[in-house]
Amino acid sequence: MAEEFNTESMLDMFLYESGQLLEKLEGIILEKQDADCFDDADINEIFRVMHTIKGSSGVLMYENITKVTHKLEDVFYYLRESHPDDVPHMELVEKVLAVSDFVTGELDKLKNGDTPDGDEKQLVEDLDEFLGRLKGEIKKQGIQMPQANKHVEPTQFYITPVAGDDSHFYRISIHYRSDTQMSNLRAYSATYALKEVAEDLLYTPDDILSNEASADVIVAEGFHMLLQTKSSKEEVIALIDSSEAEEINFDELSKEEYGRALSEFGREEAAPAAAAPASAKNDANKDAKKEGPKPGDYVVKTKEAGKGKTLAKNQPKQQSIISVNVEKMDALMDLIGELVIAEAVVLQNPDLKVPGLELSNFQKASGQLSKITTELQEVIMSMRMMPLTNTFQKMRRIVFDVSRKLGKDIELEVVGENTEVDKNIIEHITDPLMHLVRNSVDHGIEEDPADRTAVGKSTKGKITLEAKNEGGKVYISVKDDGKGLNKEKLYQKALEKGLIENKPINEFTDKEIFRFITLPGFSTKEEVTEYSGRGVGMDVVVKNIQSISGRLDISSVEFEGSEMTLVIPLTLAIINGIVVQVGNSPFVIETASIKEFVRVGEDSLISEPSGEEYIVLRGECYPFIRLNERYDLPDSNDKIEEGIIVVLEHEGSQVCVLIDKLLQEQEIVVKPIPPYVRKVKGLSGCTQLGDGSIALILDIAGLLMHDGERR
Amino acid sequence: MAEELMKKEEIDEMEELLEDDSPKGMFMTFQVGKELFGISISYVNEIIAMQSIAAIPEVDDYIKGLINLRGKIIPVIDVRVRFKMEPCEYTDRTCIIVIDVKSTMIGLIVERLADVDTIAEENIAPPPSLGRKEHEHNKYVYGLARTKDTVTLLLDPEKLIRQDDIVTAMEEVRKEEQS
Repeated sequence: MAEEFNTESMLDMFLYESGQLLEKLEGIILEKQDADCFDDADINEIFRVMHTIKGSSGVLMYENITKVTHKLEDVFYYLRESHPDDVPHMELVEKVLAVSDFVTGELDKLKNGDTPDGDEKQLVEDLDEFLGRLKGEIKKQGIQMPQANKHVEPTQFYITPVAGDDSHFYRISIHYRSDTQMSNLRAYSATYALKEVAEDLLYTPDDILSNEASADVIVAEGFHMLLQTKSSKEEVIALIDSSEAEEINFDELSKEEYGRALSEFGREEAAPAAAAPASAKNDANKDAKKEGPKPGDYVVKTKEAGKGKTLAKNQPKQQSIISVNVEKMDALMDLIGELVIAEAVVLQNPDLKVPGLELSNFQKASGQLSKITTELQEVIMSMRMMPLTNTFQKMRRIVFDVSRKLGKDIELEVVGENTEVDKNIIEHITDPLMHLVRNSVDHGIEEDPADRTAVGKSTKGKITLEAKNEGGKVYISVKDDGKGLNKEKLYQKALEKGLIENKPINEFTDKEIFRFITLPGFSTKEEVTEYSGRGVGMDVVVKNIQSISGRLDISSVEFEGSEMTLVIPLTLAIINGIVVQVGNSPFVIETASIKEFVRVGEDSLISEPSGEEYIVLRGECYPFIRLNERYDLPDSNDKIEEGIIVVLEHEGSQVCVLIDKLLQEQEIVVKPIPPYVRKVKGLSGCTQLGDGSIALILDIAGLLMHDGERR
Repeated sequence: MAEELMKKEEIDEMEELLEDDSPKGMFMTFQVGKELFGISISYVNEIIAMQSIAAIPEVDDYIKGLINLRGKIIPVIDVRVRFKMEPCEYTDRTCIIVIDVKSTMIGLIVERLADVDTIAEENIAPPPSLGRKEHEHNKYVYGLARTKDTVTLLLDPEKLIRQDDIVTAMEEVRKEEQS
């Protein structure tokens, strides 16, 4: 038992530590994604991170993690020691992220109690190959070999290597069985194996690694390669992994045929004489890539050196932090709440009310006590607050991944990532925010840069992620300078899908039209992509946001861009509320949803024969709820002129509620109603008042819904 | 005042008894109506004096509402009403037994605490059954215990707090089906 406990706590430590390290790693990588290279400090840091994870995973015998981290450590060891100055930075970034993803995936498995059984081979091979290339390039650079690009994936400018007399030319077609999984990876391993012997290798589809959809193409049409090599046919065949392959066609070609086949492959053959000197330059390949990214291929962002460093300065400094179990924090918060109440009980003790007591010293001391407890409360509240830094970092990663996959050139600007929000809220907004960011990248920014230049924008898309704290609310906005929302299109689509009433477009306000995209089943994108477009997104986003009593604002100008703003409360745990009384029961209403308090006479009341009642205020008619009747509360007043009408608003709809009297305004700590008690419509929770008694919190949305159902 | 003090002492005494390492077969007994009921003390967290209860609307009548137990908000149920007896006034002797059933904390309002008793296994008999099916689901009394000259009805707290919820859940399902 004791031993078991031990390994468990070790595992916990490992998971926690590695998680932190990976987060840090990703931070470094994404911060430097646009720079030209990592600086020494970064290389050291990444090296150290890999080394630590390698060490601890080794102790716990997670071999696949150990192997992968070991390989990446090797790469960075080499970078650290040899300072090569021609490192394909983008590729390096990709490799590091791939490793980080792999390890994160394995950690997730561990967290769920599964065995980490991910296959590391491919990754290790990739890294090996990458490292080999790094080392190789240095050598070649030294002696100025003209064909430095032999091992590099083909770029648009294709240079035919000089064919020797004893070179053979082959056309190889592999057809995989139709149920083959990840045929693109299999195809890649074939190309990888052939690269060993190839003087030249071309294949189609050519984006097998970057485009997962290529797997389907390969299964359907087969995978075709053109190979120029000195090896014999038998040697080549032996290299190709034939498992899962249904059929392998192998044709030997003459040099002329090969040349023709090349053009069949859709390659533009650059004149070898002109291109060769260019390729001698260190970064010929890089330049070629930069000049013309193919659709679907990775986009290499061109950015002036040093940009990464300025970004780094904006990053918040790493503070020294200890991690505490959230349950302990909650317990502490409860205790402090209890302390505040106990304090009130002592200071307002009836024993002190005896006439003639000399209390001046007591008053002084109690004043001091109150000050301390108030401060204590503030501190514990602030302890629950966390900056949005980590959440925003995830968004960086998403923009990075999605934009590259879609072949869009996008810059992400992050503003106000230090804004602090309650931890619970952070958990709730991560997914919705992720969705919004994806949408911006996928749908917001134009696919064709030409569309951008046509309306006078720079070719590079820009997404701004901004957080700010204003008036007790947090505003998080995702803004893109893309094509914006087309009102006409939205309207047509919503009409087509039968999501809205059939009335002319000019009867809807802009805001209403934009809100169509949040309707369930609405998606303007014709094609479903991997990231968005299934039409289940926006309504879920809105639902999630509403569950933390936030809202989503949408604004957009066509051809200029759109802005989605999440407006969320600073904290879920504390709301500003008005305590009211109905009968003997106190209720709390969130201050933000109260429009006004009014007293009206009997004459403002309209009763329907069915028993429904309405209140007419300044010519407007509102539904009316008597809280005492709704909840069957005894000893309350029924006369409308003796009570107080509270006008409540929730998402545009209003309702009048009759209460007996107002008690006080106060900050309240929201607690859930114990799950044992069945959910009551119109109540969202309960809270403890200053005197220790319990008040129920009214949920306006629930009240309105309930009201609607009754009809 | 004097009675209140006495009651306080009584509660303290009970708490002390609870403190003892509770072996199996220890039961907290309390009176509801004329009968004596027992509940295994392994379920009992603590005993508190009656306090103000915040009523919750639209729930079963035996759920009296919520109390604030040192910052924790827990529901309380009135055992009398639960047993379908006429509700009675709460007095100074009325207490709340806080039980913990599968990490659900619930307060039981009982008229009067009796004692903490050890009841030997052999003195516990299953309740006599009349063989009627409708009683089957109502079995929160799982045994009768003979102590000295009295009979104690032993309660299964899990059924005590769950049973009706299943019934209401079923009713709700039925309602949904109808609509």
